[in-house]
Amino acid sequence: MSSNDLGDYRDVWVYCEHVDGELIRPTREIIAAARSVADLLSMRVVAIVLGYNLGDLVKEPVYYGADKVIYCDDHRLKDYLTLPYTSIVSDMVIKERPWALLFVANEMGRDLASRVAYRTLTGLAADLIDLKVEDFVAYTPQGKVTYPNLLAQIRPDFGTRIAKIFTPRHRPQISSVRPGNFKELPRDERRNGEVVRWEPRFSDDDFKVEVLESRYERRKETGLEDAKVIVSLGLGILRDSKGTVRNPREAYEMAQELVKLIRERFGVKAEVGASRALIYAELKELEGLVTKEMQVGQTGKTVAPDVYIALGISGALQHKVGMNRSKKIVAVNSDPNAPIFEIAHYCVVGDLYEVLPKFIEALRGE
Amino acid sequence: MLIITLFKGVPARTTRVVTIGGVLKREEMDIVMNPHDFKALEAADYIKRSVGGKLIALTMGPDVKLSPIVNSLFDAPIEGIDEGYVLSDRRMAGADTWATAYTVAKGIRKVVDVHVRPVETLISMVEGGAGTDELIGYCRELYNSNMLPNAIYSELPTIRNSTVTAFAKGELTREETLRRLRSSLEELRRFVVVAGIKTTDGETGSTGPQVAEALSEMNGGTIPSLTYVRDFDIHPEDGTIIVERKLGDLFQRLRSRLPCVLTISPEYRSRVPSVRSRKAALLRNYRCKVRRATIWNAGDIDADPSKIGLAGSPTIVGPGVDVGAPQVRKLVGVTKVCLRRVERFSLDGKTYGPFERGTKVDDLPHEVIEYLEERGDVGTFTLEMLIEEVFGVKRVVVERSG
Ligand SMILES: Cc1cc2nc3c(=O)[nH]c(=O)nc-3n(C[C@H](O)[C@H](O)[C@H](O)COP(=O)(O)OP(=O)(O)OC[C@H]3O[C@@H](n4cnc5c(N)ncnc54)[C@H](O)[C@@H]3O)c2cc1C
Repeated sequence: MSSNDLGDYRDVWVYCEHVDGELIRPTREIIAAARSVADLLSMRVVAIVLGYNLGDLVKEPVYYGADKVIYCDDHRLKDYLTLPYTSIVSDMVIKERPWALLFVANEMGRDLASRVAYRTLTGLAADLIDLKVEDFVAYTPQGKVTYPNLLAQIRPDFGTRIAKIFTPRHRPQISSVRPGNFKELPRDERRNGEVVRWEPRFSDDDFKVEVLESRYERRKETGLEDAKVIVSLGLGILRDSKGTVRNPREAYEMAQELVKLIRERFGVKAEVGASRALIYAELKELEGLVTKEMQVGQTGKTVAPDVYIALGISGALQHKVGMNRSKKIVAVNSDPNAPIFEIAHYCVVGDLYEVLPKFIEALRGE
Repeated sequence: MLIITLFKGVPARTTRVVTIGGVLKREEMDIVMNPHDFKALEAADYIKRSVGGKLIALTMGPDVKLSPIVNSLFDAPIEGIDEGYVLSDRRMAGADTWATAYTVAKGIRKVVDVHVRPVETLISMVEGGAGTDELIGYCRELYNSNMLPNAIYSELPTIRNSTVTAFAKGELTREETLRRLRSSLEELRRFVVVAGIKTTDGETGSTGPQVAEALSEMNGGTIPSLTYVRDFDIHPEDGTIIVERKLGDLFQRLRSRLPCVLTISPEYRSRVPSVRSRKAALLRNYRCKVRRATIWNAGDIDADPSKIGLAGSPTIVGPGVDVGAPQVRKLVGVTKVCLRRVERFSLDGKTYGPFERGTKVDDLPHEVIEYLEERGDVGTFTLEMLIEEVFGVKRVVVERSG
């Protein structure tokens, strides 16, 4: 919605996604993100929860940092459906006039955020990695215009750049935030907040799509997102630097051995990750071992561990955006010009088949 | 059936992008089709082969860059598109997702209108009691310009009972003819738009749903969007589609009414259309391909200038910030580092240090490095040092700060 009275818009809203009566972790993270922004502007964090038979779930956002919950509990919301969900969230936005509205940048969040943003005539900034409050200065033919205290919606740009997206003239400022970039607040049942029920108004058009089947398929958990150390494998494991074909299983087992040692020695969570090229190669030797859930990158997981070890990964942009916020990046690659070296803190130009055993040896020692 | 597949031109090499004030300058880059949109094309092609219709590609951006891509799609490895449209206008440049959705939806509306209107005219001619010769004359002209499906009029020897031909031969009553024409018209209005899931230059899955929303607004009735589609079965005769999709861990099988917008998941694999459907498919086809991209500007699609391009975009990209390479980069076998703590020292009247063990000294003057090397204080960074620094217990267990 575009308006001259942008000052009327208040509060930072969060759309809450939940599974099996629990808020998903990325939702808890964006409540924390909303909290950090709202506190700067003395605004409230308002969580919206949609579903059927919600029960005590409606209080959970408060325990994770929200000041208020608006929920809608209706049998027609049992399964997620884009159209009725869009209608309700848009109605809420139009009536309550939030300043910002955050979604999780996962499939459901993107699906819903897109339609809500178009319907409420406002901007959408997708896939953010950070949020700030900043003034935005626009140079227009009429001169310089300053928009104070906007949401700086920060997302990865090309290469090593980031871009800040602003929605100066429209409200709410709608964004989707990638999982893994904010730390959830500890759950605290002593926190108080207002919980308000919303009565939905549907139209027949909202049910132009009907559900024939809808169920959650549990994926094998990899826990890549909260690992402290990630050892990632790329297509480079196919050959050693002399060009001899190697059984990729060898590198896989060494990587597993390395993470096991790290877990034992330092007591931190360590996991094996992979590039998309390795996963899509569907190697027989790695069947069931290197799976889609392990993918790091634009179409996989966004991770920011303390240590990220890239073994035989070239460092394509789509891979880098998923791991470039890692605290320490170690790259092992036989090609001195591999782009992964541009962002690595530690560069080893060499054969992973020689380097990996040395890592293992060093950690096994003493 | 109108099958409209959307695609976007994206920079061929994402590392060398020209941005001026944060806006991509597409005219100055090599542009290729967004790889995700090939999946959309594959799905659209499957629709065409299984139920028939006209396969239309639509894109927005500088026509000099996009027309060649469109022209190459007529002979794509699949059956290829039948028609292509490029929405090209300087005023469309710099559009964000909102303005893109608006513009593309306007383009789709125009494509649909262009196809629907002649059939409407035909219906009113039949209603008004037009004679056989007049009807055949009108149809032949439309047929030759690719604007009528075989079901309504055809000169193919295999199709003997297209509606108007059958009427002209006296095999259909006027009422029966009108009923068939109206049902053809309804089918035309139940178009399907097929988009890719996202682009490699930044957009993430918003175009499909936003185009659906924009079309809904223009249409005065909701047009569903079905995202992350992995498989589907389309039934133009009763105006429905059944899709399977996956939103993260959530698997859904949904039945939607047409028209609708699909975004196709990279996991989509097209099936082989059944033989049974071939005949019906032929009836929905048009005469031939129009092998040249049609270029429309903002005026052609009746777009409101305040809703397109930079002017119509609620979001603005602020100045980009280069987060750059890591401040300290150490190369095993190359980088010179302190092997132990080095206290403050003077050389040729200048003082240096103190330096902690592990400090990178590559930026010091050459003589200073040599001097320190001679003293045994500096050496080449080794794998062992890397392991020690990276896995030094202190470093690994450091908690991430808020
Ligand atoms: C839309 C889109 C989305 C994508 N999303 C993702 C994503 O989410 N994640 C992702 O990872 N990719 C993604 N990709 C793919 C990405 O572009 C790259 O193709 C992929 O990351 C390359 O994987 P790789 O580095 O393992 O393979 P390669 O690029 O083949 O690199 C292998 C590297 O190994 C090195 N090497 C070879 N042998 C050895 C050896 N013995 N020792 C050491 N080094 C060796 C080589 O020098 C080379 O640099 C996406 C692509 C597209 C188009």
